[in-house]
Amino acid sequence: MPDASLLTDDVRALVGRATPLGTVRVTPKAYRRAIEVYTGEPPLAVPPPGAPIPGYLIAALDSESPTPAPAVPALLPNSILIANEWQFERPLRMGEELESHHTLVAVTERFGGRFGYSIDFRTEVAFTDPSGATVARSSNTMTQYSAAEARDGGEP
Amino acid sequence: MTADPASIREGDELPVLHLQPGLGQVIRYCALQWAFPPFFYDAEAAKANGMPGTLVPGPLKVGLLYRAVDEWLGDAGWICHVRAAHRRPDLTNHPIDIVGRVARVYEEAGARRADLELAIINEEGQPSVRGFAVIEFYRPG
Repeated sequence: MPDASLLTDDVRALVGRATPLGTVRVTPKAYRRAIEVYTGEPPLAVPPPGAPIPGYLIAALDSESPTPAPAVPALLPNSILIANEWQFERPLRMGEELESHHTLVAVTERFGGRFGYSIDFRTEVAFTDPSGATVARSSNTMTQYSAAEARDGGEP
Repeated sequence: MTADPASIREGDELPVLHLQPGLGQVIRYCALQWAFPPFFYDAEAAKANGMPGTLVPGPLKVGLLYRAVDEWLGDAGWICHVRAAHRRPDLTNHPIDIVGRVARVYEEAGARRADLELAIINEEGQPSVRGFAVIEFYRPG
């Protein structure tokens, strides 16, 4: 365990800062690919422009941003994904264009537990429509830890 | 299947979705994300990282929870929120069951909604993912 918290003012200052990632579009190609990934079968048809579509598409939008999401600071040597979340204010629509923004939503440190001293980074990519209204969010939480200090190496 | 909003009650169980995510599905997922950590598709790389084999990516599993809800809900509504808390890894080509139950049915902002408790159960009967979802039913007519 470190002698002092690794959450310095520089790290805390990153929380809440939104980074624009650019414009993404809900395309028929992304629709076909996302449906096939999650259901195992390509769709029989593509919905017409403006039609609501399943939220699977958010996984494709995540990687369609022209600018890659900034990396979070590496404060400890190991990391593991502990949670994923998709939130929708309304269904996504075929053909719509959305602006994407990345935000480090929260950083919290934990003492004890199977990871020993660990730090959780919760990041989010938000998608907004041309009016600026948020349509959807995709977030994940990564835990950074030191396997040498974790119980059973951090393995469950 | 399409859930019937009029008859849904707290405690109702969703049909169990039996799946066996394979390496092909994982590779397609990596391509969708354009992210290729070798331990997802290369058994030797997985073992070098201390894993017993190639893993089903966590972000793929949140989508599988979404699928279980979507297949049950059908055209009766839409999914507002789905969350996956990862408890233990799932290996590719091993069976998993996705289970769920209706935890709460309520009205919010003029809409009828339900909270769902979800889980992915591995072949040892252990939960590898604890999940949660919120659905909103379409208004009749």
